[in-house]
Amino acid sequence: MWGRRTAQVFPPAVDTWVRLGTLAAAVVVLGLALGGWDYARSAYVTRVGWVRDQPVPFSHKHHVGDVGLDCRYCHTGVEDSAEAGLPPTHTCMTCHSQLWTGAALLEPVRRSLASGQPIHWQRVSKLPDYVQFNHSIHVARGVGCVECHGRIDQMPLTARAEPFQMKFCLDCHRDPSTRLRPVALVTRMEPLPWSEAERRAYGLRVMAAHRIDPKVLDNCEICHR
Amino acid sequence: MSEDTPLPTGLPQATGQAYWRGLDELVDEPGFMATLAERFPALATGPFSGEAGDWRRRDILKCLGGAVALAGLDGCERRPDEEALPAVVADEDGTPGVARFYATAVELDGVAQPLLGKTREGRPVKLEGNPEHPASLGATDAFGQAALLDLYDPDRSAAPLERGTPTTWARAEDALTGLRAALDASGGAGFRLLTGPVGSPTLRRQIAGLLARWPGARWHLLASGRTDHTAGGDLPRLDRAEAVVCLDADPLGPGPWQVWNATRWGQRRRAFQGGAGSASLYVAEPSPTITGVTATRRLAAAPSRIGVLLAALAARVGVAGVATAPLTSPERAWVDAAGDGLAKARGRGLILVGKDQPASAQALAAAIEAHLGNGATRTALPPLDALVPVDAAALLPDMAAGRVRTLLVLGANPAYALPGFAEAAARVATRLHAGLHVDETAQLAHWHLPLAHLLESWSDGRAADGSAVPIQPLVRPWLDARSRHAVLGLLLGDSKDDRTRVRETWPQLSDDAAWEEALLKGRIAGSEPAAVSPRPAAAPAPLSPPSPTDGLSLVVRPDPCVWDGSLAGNPWLQELPKPLTKLTWGNAVHVSPALAREQGLKNGDMVRLTAGDRSVTGPVWILPGQERHTVLVHLGHGRRAGSKVAQGVGFDVHPLLGATGPVRLERADGSATLASTQQHFAMEEDEFVRFVDTLADTLPPEPASSFYPPQKSSPAWGMAIDLDLCIGCNACVVACVAENNVPMVGAEQVAKGREMHWLRVDRYYRGDPDDPVHAFQPVPCMHCEDAPCEMGCPVNATVHSPDGLNLQVYNRCIGTRTCSAYCPYKVRRFNWFDLTSKDPPELRAARNPEVTVRSRGVMEKCTYCIQRISAARITAKKEDRAIAEGEVVTACQAACPTQAIVFGDVSRPDSAVSTRKAGGRDYDLLAEAQTRPRTTYQARIRSGESHGGEEA
Repeated sequence: MWGRRTAQVFPPAVDTWVRLGTLAAAVVVLGLALGGWDYARSAYVTRVGWVRDQPVPFSHKHHVGDVGLDCRYCHTGVEDSAEAGLPPTHTCMTCHSQLWTGAALLEPVRRSLASGQPIHWQRVSKLPDYVQFNHSIHVARGVGCVECHGRIDQMPLTARAEPFQMKFCLDCHRDPSTRLRPVALVTRMEPLPWSEAERRAYGLRVMAAHRIDPKVLDNCEICHR
Repeated sequence: MSEDTPLPTGLPQATGQAYWRGLDELVDEPGFMATLAERFPALATGPFSGEAGDWRRRDILKCLGGAVALAGLDGCERRPDEEALPAVVADEDGTPGVARFYATAVELDGVAQPLLGKTREGRPVKLEGNPEHPASLGATDAFGQAALLDLYDPDRSAAPLERGTPTTWARAEDALTGLRAALDASGGAGFRLLTGPVGSPTLRRQIAGLLARWPGARWHLLASGRTDHTAGGDLPRLDRAEAVVCLDADPLGPGPWQVWNATRWGQRRRAFQGGAGSASLYVAEPSPTITGVTATRRLAAAPSRIGVLLAALAARVGVAGVATAPLTSPERAWVDAAGDGLAKARGRGLILVGKDQPASAQALAAAIEAHLGNGATRTALPPLDALVPVDAAALLPDMAAGRVRTLLVLGANPAYALPGFAEAAARVATRLHAGLHVDETAQLAHWHLPLAHLLESWSDGRAADGSAVPIQPLVRPWLDARSRHAVLGLLLGDSKDDRTRVRETWPQLSDDAAWEEALLKGRIAGSEPAAVSPRPAAAPAPLSPPSPTDGLSLVVRPDPCVWDGSLAGNPWLQELPKPLTKLTWGNAVHVSPALAREQGLKNGDMVRLTAGDRSVTGPVWILPGQERHTVLVHLGHGRRAGSKVAQGVGFDVHPLLGATGPVRLERADGSATLASTQQHFAMEEDEFVRFVDTLADTLPPEPASSFYPPQKSSPAWGMAIDLDLCIGCNACVVACVAENNVPMVGAEQVAKGREMHWLRVDRYYRGDPDDPVHAFQPVPCMHCEDAPCEMGCPVNATVHSPDGLNLQVYNRCIGTRTCSAYCPYKVRRFNWFDLTSKDPPELRAARNPEVTVRSRGVMEKCTYCIQRISAARITAKKEDRAIAEGEVVTACQAACPTQAIVFGDVSRPDSAVSTRKAGGRDYDLLAEAQTRPRTTYQARIRSGESHGGEEA
């Protein structure tokens, strides 16, 4: 076998093509990886800043920022329940039976009360089904509404403020110290008049007092069960 | 697997295992152990057909590649937008997301089972026992747990039917008004009401009103051979009985009194464990029951031998003038033991005789009790009132003779449960049926009226101890159905609402405060009937001579899981393995190993069972421990209409009820595959269930299992299961299903070993197949401190929590099933299919919102009810305190009537679970695997028990 010459199967140009092809494949793989990385964090996926069509163009800016309603006036369950709760139609009508009683924008609200059919809101802040989130314990420990929901008092139409992905939750669970505040101020939207160091010092005191242990907080079963 | 097993001929070569789960394992049928060795026997019967060897490397790679590609595509799906629908007017006192509990009840055979209904956002999601009620003490049975799914049954009847065509209640009301006028004119002549046992005082009051208004009317009772508990009778007090003798009686077995008896047995047995008195149980029975398994001493005895045993027992304890017959030596040994036990516990003994036994046997038992002065171990309850229904058997001749012009069937199904009803019904001019389903009777009726489930209506009932229970709705009815009171009210022209009706029945609740108190507690104070003086001991009548023993005797019992067939539409109960046979989805003709050997039968062979002139055909199941010539069949299967789940499962044995004449068993053509779980998830070891001889004995100490120190944390969750208290009743299994959204898979998948129950109750045998020692063992996840599953998972989807839980993270799991292969206890369950996403909205509403609904390709297992732990942790954190002892109760623990399961913090030396684990009977399952399980078991106390097959 060794004594016979075998015919050249590939012409010399193949070398170049193989090198180019390998480079192209590497570029494509790298591109896909970087693109995927970027895509997974894009607003298209996380829906941060996206506004949904709602039956009533409810403005948190007006109700919270301008009128000054406390979050808990409508989201009544936030201190006692896993769910903050959306206000029943009846809550809207406590004011709107007196104010803007004929406004066309509020027609779905009046219709809901008259017919007994709920208003069909589009959910803005939604976690995956395998995540069990409890509002009450976060409020009880002094995690402000603004930490997850953003400056809702500046949103004419409600949008998601933070990417509700696991990284977002874990960032805080692994270091809650800079996100804690006095419980009386949880619904305050404006930044606290504290320096970063003051905040951290306060947070560390709260963590010591309530035995909040970040080593436990990032365990799977805290959220997934 | 086990269906193909030929019968062991004689006691075979032992496989070296003391314990066996089925006969195929005992004889080590070729291929059986090989099937077991393969952790997933289902692969052997996969879509690629034939042997597991057909899987070539290329096929596997192709499948793997396809799966990876498809899994990638699966990830591309965007989560759909979701609507949020707030209430229009807020619930007056409910916060969304916070569970509320309401005291209510469901009924079984007319006996109310007191419950607490957990509701979320106005829909019931879980039922618990009512701890405030003496007939529950917080415990439930399997039926009570499964009642939740009956409420949400998507096949429930939703609208009235007129000759099979949907119509409106307005037209039904017109028809009933016309009927009322006709009955008023005729004084009710030719009108018959047919019901099941009625315990509800309000319903009885309505029926009394009906019978008073129309004197020509008659009320019939369809009890299908079971006792009508509402007619009064003796209430056993197992908590006071230090020696109990059961002759063909099954007080701990399924039925309306199971919770009452099992809670009392648990109290007595725990007192015995604490050193207070004795708690011995002697059982002679034709076919194994859970009472027999629990017994200190069990004897397999033909039904015809019960009288002989009673007479010998009477002679043994010194009752004068009883004629005795010769006994076999096992019978003699049993009678001596039972007699000595009764004599030792003089005044605190109890003899229970099955209702199939003749009155003479009951009288003889009463004579023995009178002789021993055993008055305190039972309470005699009076009948509820003067109303006495006529047995349904008397209805058929009247119907056939044309003496019945109008028949109203209320909540019963005679076309299924009363053979001959359909033919006789043809002669009835007007047939009305009110029921939950369009069942066999509804198909024969001119009018079918949909009934509301008890969990969505106002009513009342009588619990096992005779006290009254108010029944309040947990949810507003979403179907166009009306309650049983409203249907009778329509007929009687009484348009009050049900709540008013119930309050009128109870004058002591006219005060609003008293009414609210009754609703809050789930019991009506002062409604307990005064105990009447116990029946006078009649002179023992001469017992009829035992029938010749060479013939077969037939025992017909309600199914332990779907009862009389009224629960056959409930998948949680259909898929619940029956306590003794571990059969699911169907019934069988149960024969003894000896009889099977004689007739050359093996599991699954079709046989024709004949009693007198009636016969049924069904597959055989060989039941170790059954009396040689006894044949047992279960009612409740072979439904022909009603819920889709119920239809076509098993065969109907109602024709055999009350049949007289010789019993014959003949081989029929073919065989059937029975879905039994008895060999599924089998573990390998010698001694799963351990025994100690007496209360004072302890198990030998186990050698220190590991060099490494045990895991330390606070809290550290652990569980203790006392096998001395467990009666194998299955309440924990259904409670776990309800709490944890465990999906049902159906008969075909169960037969492949793919059932999803997180908690299984293993049943083991030891010794001679004709008279083995039985033992039950509930097996949840062991939550091993050194968990093999955690070492196996390639993606860290199963990890350990600091408080000692072995976690399963569904969103990380990619379904390699390595963890399951590594698990020595076989407690992990894999979602082979998407079992949940196509559920109708009713079934979605039944789910527990605090537990993730798992999808295809994900492993799951017992979590120690982590959602309950988390809820307690969050509550405690909000109050800045530690979780209190007893604050976390798992679903299985809450349901258990004997308190065999205890859960808690093992880092506290004073907790109930630590106390249990510190006792000398505590042992680890598969200790040699050195997994340091957090679930441990306490050995059964044999207290001198010995069985025919094995001397202790």
